[in-house]
Amino acid sequence: MDIFLQQLANGLTIGSMFALVALGYTMVYGVMKLINFAHGDMVAASAFVGLTIYTQVMGQATSLVAVIAIFLLSAAVMACVGVILERVAYKPLREAPRLSAVVSALGASLVIQNGIMLIWGPRMKIFPELVPQVYWNFGGVVISLIQVLILAISLVLMVSLYLFIEKTRMGAAIRASSIDQDAAKLMGINVNSVITLIFVIGSSLGAVGGLFIGLYYRGITFNMGWQYGLYAFIAAILGGIGNIPGAMLGGMLLGLFNAFIAGYVSSTWADAYTFILLIVILIVRPTGLLGERVAEKV
Amino acid sequence: MAPNNLVLTNVTKRFGGLTAVDELNMTVEEGQIYGVIGPNGAGKTTVFNCITGIYQSEEGSVKWRGEEIRGLTPYKIVDRGIVRTFQTIRLFGQMSVAENIMSGRHIKSQQSWWHGIVPTPGSRRDELENWQKVQEQLEFFNLGEFAATPTNSLPYGIQRRVEMARAMAVDPTLLILDEPAAGLNDKETLALLETIFQIRDKGVTVLLIEHDMDLVMQVTDYLTVINFGKKIAEGTPDEIQKDPAVIEAYLGSEDDDDE
Amino acid sequence: MKSLERFGYPVFFVVIAILPFLLDPRWQAVAITFLIFAVVALSQDIILGKAGMFNMGQALFFGMGAYLTAILNAKFGWPMLATIPVAILIPALMGILLAGPIVHLRGDYLLVVTIGFNIVFVQVVQNNLGGVTGGPNGIFGLDAMNLFGIKLASQVSVYYFAFAVLLLTLGIMANLEKSKAGRALHYLREDPLAAESIGINTRVYKIFAFGLGAGIAGLAGTVYATQYAAVSPEAFEFIQSVLFFSIVLVGGSSIPGVLLGVFVMFVLPEIFREFATWRFFIFGFAMILAMVLRPRGIWPATFGKIPKFLIKESNHGA
Repeated sequence: MDIFLQQLANGLTIGSMFALVALGYTMVYGVMKLINFAHGDMVAASAFVGLTIYTQVMGQATSLVAVIAIFLLSAAVMACVGVILERVAYKPLREAPRLSAVVSALGASLVIQNGIMLIWGPRMKIFPELVPQVYWNFGGVVISLIQVLILAISLVLMVSLYLFIEKTRMGAAIRASSIDQDAAKLMGINVNSVITLIFVIGSSLGAVGGLFIGLYYRGITFNMGWQYGLYAFIAAILGGIGNIPGAMLGGMLLGLFNAFIAGYVSSTWADAYTFILLIVILIVRPTGLLGERVAEKV
Repeated sequence: MAPNNLVLTNVTKRFGGLTAVDELNMTVEEGQIYGVIGPNGAGKTTVFNCITGIYQSEEGSVKWRGEEIRGLTPYKIVDRGIVRTFQTIRLFGQMSVAENIMSGRHIKSQQSWWHGIVPTPGSRRDELENWQKVQEQLEFFNLGEFAATPTNSLPYGIQRRVEMARAMAVDPTLLILDEPAAGLNDKETLALLETIFQIRDKGVTVLLIEHDMDLVMQVTDYLTVINFGKKIAEGTPDEIQKDPAVIEAYLGSEDDDDE
Repeated sequence: MKSLERFGYPVFFVVIAILPFLLDPRWQAVAITFLIFAVVALSQDIILGKAGMFNMGQALFFGMGAYLTAILNAKFGWPMLATIPVAILIPALMGILLAGPIVHLRGDYLLVVTIGFNIVFVQVVQNNLGGVTGGPNGIFGLDAMNLFGIKLASQVSVYYFAFAVLLLTLGIMANLEKSKAGRALHYLREDPLAAESIGINTRVYKIFAFGLGAGIAGLAGTVYATQYAAVSPEAFEFIQSVLFFSIVLVGGSSIPGVLLGVFVMFVLPEIFREFATWRFFIFGFAMILAMVLRPRGIWPATFGKIPKFLIKESNHGA
């Protein structure tokens, strides 16, 4: 029972981080039908950006105000990077075959990943202890303040995003653009603004995710984005790519599954089992858990 | 040997709460040029999709030569001699006219999958024979000068001919045309008329959807009229023209699609 | 383009044939890898370029062939030559089996599943399944390949073995284009519904593409194992699949395109090895630029290769 609860706690934490990152993938895919392979590396970059803001800008302050500032500034920086990424690598390819944009995304991923390496070096860096190391022990199950914060803040962000998408006009514009970009344009929706907005939101959420990764794992490397990004992408696919609640669901599910496999089976087989799970789910539900079948008019 | 007849019995197709085709009964006899007409959105293309296997009707039966074909995948239906064209042209745009028509020879070709890896004298012969069949279609449809041209660079009227040539390359027994005159000018429509008669003379039964009433009245032997998924009348063109239900369905609107 | 193609191929073959004598050993090794990667990239082109399926796991079949050769030789004492049919057929069979349940998936879902297959394979191999796969260090100490009496002891001889395999692959690709099966792949890529409606069993041909691509990649794996007399998991990781995927798209789905793609994506970075730290940073920009400037690849597929007697008619009709 102990293992179960422990892995449950770990899984929810990891799942929240996957979910935050997955949202970036799914929002971009929903509107542009593009797999933004550079997203994972953006998430990694945000951890490094956060580190630098902490040391250079905040003078290593760890007060609540400083920490919030670090989060906000990092998100702002990554949002800018995201918009630039879109303008340079994706906008010119909007009319091109889909796979061309995928290759461009892979190129962008290399640029960002190696950019991190060029700026911060190839060695692992230690992320600052922005959150006090407080632990609670519930009869053998250890939960840290960091885990609680990650889960809580992620939930708040996810709920906010959900409400934004469902209840606001801009959210409706995003939903419309996801369904049919051309029709949205004809309805007077400025699709360029929508695309800029989704990159801002997606990159910001990814930035928060990246900072959480730094807080949780403490060690950050320039190439951690690939692995993490891949998992988050799988989470988005699992939930039905393009579907925002799906990304949240997929992320949580993946985090939990990963934690339970690591806890009960073995960590050297964690990847393999995760993918087998994915493959089985896709065979049973070919468009993901919450994905919709898109009918083709003949 | 069952005759080459297509018999639809009580065919019903629903999409969620919408009944697109409602208990349709229709018989297309060998050698006919049979027309299906009706206002826009009446369900005509849906009927064709049910016949050709793109949809499976929820109820009813579709019998070809006495055999039930409802539920078969599209390529199996082509294998049984039924080929269709599409309302919106669906050619392989980047590929040349000849290559498009060659796709019609796929099912007739004797090659196996492994001939893709290792050729044999037999497979080379098969290639040559099929390209010769393509040439026959190029000549019949007067497309010779466009043989090597990519289809997406051709005018609409010529693309329509290519689509028909592709379908005829399969040597079908029943040819299904979905709005073959859509987007054609008067001269092209006249040529289409000629072509359909020539196709019938080759022994192919023709089933078509059309909105161009002049063409329909001149070319068809027999008609079924559909509205809201239901058959509202059937008969010869003359009978249909006088049928009050049909007139009402079209609300007396003159069909003019001179685009 | 046409006259370039007519002279390009003979020139290319002559250059490749004399190349080993112009290069030092380090570059000979690079050249062998170029040839091997060209074979894998061509096999990837069958699945991705011709059949249009989003496959990002080709390293799986490449690795399977390599590992089968290594295991049969090192653990079971098979002569290297005897491993070749196995290294082709087993991956081909796996390609068919794996493709079956997934070919109907929408593009991006298929992509992720192929990535999954690749990652599962690497993890299986790393964890030394059944005690035969050698764990994270792989398997080494393979015998030299003995081709019906010719022992491939030197690097140059391995080079010509690789060249022969490439020639075989090019022959298959050329024949594929002139066959019913090859054309079927093009049709089902352009418009699967139209292809199905004209009588093509799209499902069977998609699986065929996977099987053929897998078999050829498996053969390339044997050549790889021959070159290094060893195999290890890193060579077949998912990142390699990304490389093969990108090669086909950056180079374009044609034979010159794929060969150019291998050169651009593999040989160029090797040439710029001195600029170690900046190498991939610039390379990433190059990839973006390549796609923005040539979205369909440097040398895209061309159509209209029809028999001359049909074209002659078009000149008369004009």
